[in-house]
Amino acid sequence: MNAIELPHLKEIFDRLRRGTHLSPEDEPLFSALASRAQDYIDYFAPLGLKLVRHDREFFYFEPDYADKVPDTLPKIAVFSYILIDHAANQGTPVEEFVMGQNFLMSKLPHFSLDRYVTLLRQVDVEDLSDIKLLLGHMDRIGWIRWEGDEEFRFLRPFHRVFSKCLELAQRAPAIPTTLATETTSPV
Amino acid sequence: MFFCFFLRLPDDTVSAVKVNPQAFFGFCSGHVPLLRALSSRAGEISDADVQRFIQAHATPDQELPKTTWQRLLEYQILVPSEPGSSFYLLADPVGRLLTYLFDEANPATPEMIGGYIASLEALSRKLGRALEEENVTVVELSFREINDTLRRIYGDLDETHHCILQEVARFKTTQRQVSVRDKFRRIVHWMERFVEPMIDIVRADGPMRSSFEDIGQLLRRAREQALFNDHPALDRNLRYLRLVRKHALRVFEQCRKEIQPLYESLRRSSFIAEGAALALQRLMSEGAANWGTEPLIGIHQVRIQNVPSDQAIALALRRLTEHPPEPAPRLLIDDSLEVPPAMLRRQWLDSLPERAAPELPIVDLLEWLQDRHPNKGTQELLAGFTALLFHEDFEGEFQEGATKNYATADGQLEGSPLRLIRMSS
Repeated sequence: MNAIELPHLKEIFDRLRRGTHLSPEDEPLFSALASRAQDYIDYFAPLGLKLVRHDREFFYFEPDYADKVPDTLPKIAVFSYILIDHAANQGTPVEEFVMGQNFLMSKLPHFSLDRYVTLLRQVDVEDLSDIKLLLGHMDRIGWIRWEGDEEFRFLRPFHRVFSKCLELAQRAPAIPTTLATETTSPV
Repeated sequence: MFFCFFLRLPDDTVSAVKVNPQAFFGFCSGHVPLLRALSSRAGEISDADVQRFIQAHATPDQELPKTTWQRLLEYQILVPSEPGSSFYLLADPVGRLLTYLFDEANPATPEMIGGYIASLEALSRKLGRALEEENVTVVELSFREINDTLRRIYGDLDETHHCILQEVARFKTTQRQVSVRDKFRRIVHWMERFVEPMIDIVRADGPMRSSFEDIGQLLRRAREQALFNDHPALDRNLRYLRLVRKHALRVFEQCRKEIQPLYESLRRSSFIAEGAALALQRLMSEGAANWGTEPLIGIHQVRIQNVPSDQAIALALRRLTEHPPEPAPRLLIDDSLEVPPAMLRRQWLDSLPERAAPELPIVDLLEWLQDRHPNKGTQELLAGFTALLFHEDFEGEFQEGATKNYATADGQLEGSPLRLIRMSS
């Protein structure tokens, strides 16, 4: 494989190595990756970098943080799980709720319940300015896109959170899973 | 006035009618909203609730609420749940009539369809015996019963289909805020209770097929043996057998197709919500320090470490060579200097437990300190007092009675004497 043949290689590597997820919002990089995904995967593999193509059509480098977990990860996780918890209580399918609308920062449910506030404090997220910092980070990794000063929407790579939730739920034997019609795995 | 008249039934028996149909339907036509409200209430209704319904749906030109109440009982629209009870049930035949009129549907349970099939099997055996005995009357009666049962199955299947369509539509359109997990539980109930067991009954190798095939053979035999001469009716029954089975399969396949996408979507959402809730619950109970990495969504970060460049090495060397020499720091050790007061204070405080221990119990700790250190100021005495009171080997108890005055080098204290004793095990 001649690296020169891979289009936008430098830019793609530069974005992916910073933890960015490349989705259809990131053209022309996404198209370059999507059209020759296996070539890029093969190119990065000897460097110890595993390029993942998610089922929902976006790309990222498989994380490896055996030594130290970055401080932002627990914050992102708690922020996301609270949003999902809120969505579930609204009665609409969770993915539709999260991915199907724009959110205003001031209307987020994260400070609407004492329980949420307590959970956020556990990871040192105290107020909206902390949330804004967090969203800024999520913007950099390609999980959200700002649509204005305080309006944003979630991008496709946020499906990694849903996948994580399914993984966590699958380990807990609380939900009936033995229906005769089931043909698909929950993940 | 109550009229009692007679109705001729198909089997030529005569039966008394217990409710005047004209009066019954006259009452119903004037109280449609009330009947609808009553039919929407599942299970028992207290008389107080019925009165409330009557009040809520009364119109100025209607009769008194008391009269409405009497009519409901008189026409047997409501019947007591047990004799003498103040709880009532909507009479079953009225409920069915209202369900039909309001185009509402009740799903047939697998037990109901299973019951029909068991009934057909019994009829099949009866018909078989009648054919062997060439008993034309029983053949004819069995034939009619089979026809009735098939019609009931067909009707119940239709109603179930209708009911499931309504339920799916309700799920999609309801504005009521119900959590995803609750919706999922409901849809699972529908799948498990109605659709899946029913498909087991009606599928190609299920009990419905074998039962229907047996009956089909017997009907053909009846025709061959000329024991049932109404050939068009016999053909209709044979066709009906095929139709009902085909219809049953189609209805439940359609039901499954209606419910399955909703089920899959809610199932996935429910799992997602469950996973998020589990992660948050763990964070709440175990704290961030023990949350671990399992609930985290990893993000890649490359840490690049390069070999130092020539430029960096040159810079480091230049800094080294150009660094002005500094003499090593020297410690000033001089015996003539006084011991620092803070150190003396610390030493005094540290020595107190050792001094106090042989004298326990000390009846009045502050007095004990004051006697031994009359030159200490208030702050010092209280520091010593605190050090002894909170020492891990001692405990103290205030004595009841009048307070005492304690003169210190720079002031005066007033308080109840504190007795210092050894910490009990």
